[in-house]
Amino acid sequence: MSDLQQEVTNLIYRESTLLDRREWDDWISLYTEDAVYWVPSWANEEETTDDPELQLNLIYLRNRGGLEDRVFRIESRDSYASVPLDRTVHVVGNVLVQNENGDEVEATANCIIHTYGKKGGLTRGSLYDFKLRREDGVLKITQKKITFIDDRLEGPIDVYHL
Amino acid sequence: MDGSIIADDPSALVDDRIDQGVFRVDRSVYTDEDIFGQEVQNIFEKCWIFLCHESQVANHGDYFWTEIGRQPVFVHRQEDDSLKCFINACSHRAAILTPFRRGNAKTLTCRFHGWSYKCSGACIGIKNEEPDTDRSHFDLREIASLDTYGGFVFGSLSADVPSLDDWLGEAKPWIDLMVAQSPGGLEVVPGSSTYAVDGNWKFQAENSVDGYHVSTVHRVFAHTIAMRESKGEYTGIKKTEAGRMAGGVPTGSYDLGNGHMAVWAQHTTPEVRPIWEAKERLEKELTPGQVEWILSKGRNLYIFPNVMLMDNPSTQIRVMKPHSANQVDISVYCVAPKGESDTARAGRLRKFEDFYLTAGMATSDDVAALEDTQEGSLATGAKWNEFSRGIGSIISGPDAAASQLGFSPTACAENWDFEIHYHGFYRQWLKMLKGD
Repeated sequence: MSDLQQEVTNLIYRESTLLDRREWDDWISLYTEDAVYWVPSWANEEETTDDPELQLNLIYLRNRGGLEDRVFRIESRDSYASVPLDRTVHVVGNVLVQNENGDEVEATANCIIHTYGKKGGLTRGSLYDFKLRREDGVLKITQKKITFIDDRLEGPIDVYHL
Repeated sequence: MDGSIIADDPSALVDDRIDQGVFRVDRSVYTDEDIFGQEVQNIFEKCWIFLCHESQVANHGDYFWTEIGRQPVFVHRQEDDSLKCFINACSHRAAILTPFRRGNAKTLTCRFHGWSYKCSGACIGIKNEEPDTDRSHFDLREIASLDTYGGFVFGSLSADVPSLDDWLGEAKPWIDLMVAQSPGGLEVVPGSSTYAVDGNWKFQAENSVDGYHVSTVHRVFAHTIAMRESKGEYTGIKKTEAGRMAGGVPTGSYDLGNGHMAVWAQHTTPEVRPIWEAKERLEKELTPGQVEWILSKGRNLYIFPNVMLMDNPSTQIRVMKPHSANQVDISVYCVAPKGESDTARAGRLRKFEDFYLTAGMATSDDVAALEDTQEGSLATGAKWNEFSRGIGSIISGPDAAASQLGFSPTACAENWDFEIHYHGFYRQWLKMLKGD
């Protein structure tokens, strides 16, 4: 395994580990300040929306502040959907470096997410498209696009469910 | 008596004694499957049901598959630009005819045995047809009633319904407030979300016009947005009116008749709403009352029994499909004025995503709350749900805000914390449940 492949894989593993272990601040620190977090909605049975600005997304956060909003809401303990907090296990696989250009790297991965909450256990899947950038020698996430394959959604969907 | 609530006396489900300050509903209305069966038969299969928006079937051959009660139907745009709606089942052996929820097909061919139908519903092909077959015997079954208002398409399995105009009645001026926002009408923006709620459809109906929950359930949304705004991080996300969330702005609620309900709250910063860019045109074309209502009043409208039109943080069509007493699917669409600027469209969508989805920061909390009420409703040891707040200050006929717009509600309350609009909903519900 190349050094870059190992570094990218570690970053993506670390992200899902921090989400499952509720280490929110460390999770956010994996993202650059200008990071885009994008979960398109399904335009029909076979295609998602593809213009995040002018079409409907499930989540579209255009900088790290959007992630901070989510964490603020979770940590407030005042969100009906987030108390009690669902338990999650992310299992990431198929990590592939797709492109490398100087400090910028593109990578894809798959994730199976098992959730346990009021509805019992749910197992769902996401396709990840990452854009990564090296800042001060450290690889960070500058875009994460999540294709969440479920359409008819059960329970709340927050950043830790995806 | 067989012990079934329905057989005993449905009237006992609604304790309607407002002269004594009481309006209560038996919690079994949310959990009893016999009642649900009656609702499907006597309400959903007898009423006007919202089907789709006409922009979702814009061109010849466009179809939209949905349900009336539990029966699959599809709306199909005809060659002459009219709309027809058919039972979505092959005349032969019942297979669904539309491969997708939404698509285009000028001819539909059943994927099971290959029977085919023209857009008009005429059966035009039977595989290995036997001699002397009368294909017209197998034409698709059109639903009994179909009509549109302001681009919103409604249908009924029953021919015995009032005209759609009469049915919508005092809800029409509220629909007009959405339609008037663009000279070209409205369009559904690409993308949607459907979520499964483990709760009765009536809890969703109630929640959509429940001003009282906003300052508790959505307090965290207001705090989150206030935190965001304090950092100066809009990046194109328009300010949300935190005052509306916390209470303290003018509000109102209406029983619009026929089970329709509505609430509004004053926007404290109307100038940041996407529609503000159309202010000048609106002032030329509409009455001052309409302009004030469009620009400055966030509005939620519930149209009995299955659709909600919201123009509050963003603009939404919310459609309910009940599956059982304990389960309803909700589909949400962003509906927007055709021809608005990209900036307004993007602002509208970002507010929609912030608030209106189970992946957002408010609707997810609503759904959690109403799923809790579903569970709590099993507690028949304490059997009544209370809808008595505001009984002492019911206004019969229009209040000042209603007069300004020009509609005549059955009853109003000058406070969206009050619950008097639910009285009209449950009276209509009971009337139809009993088959009156």
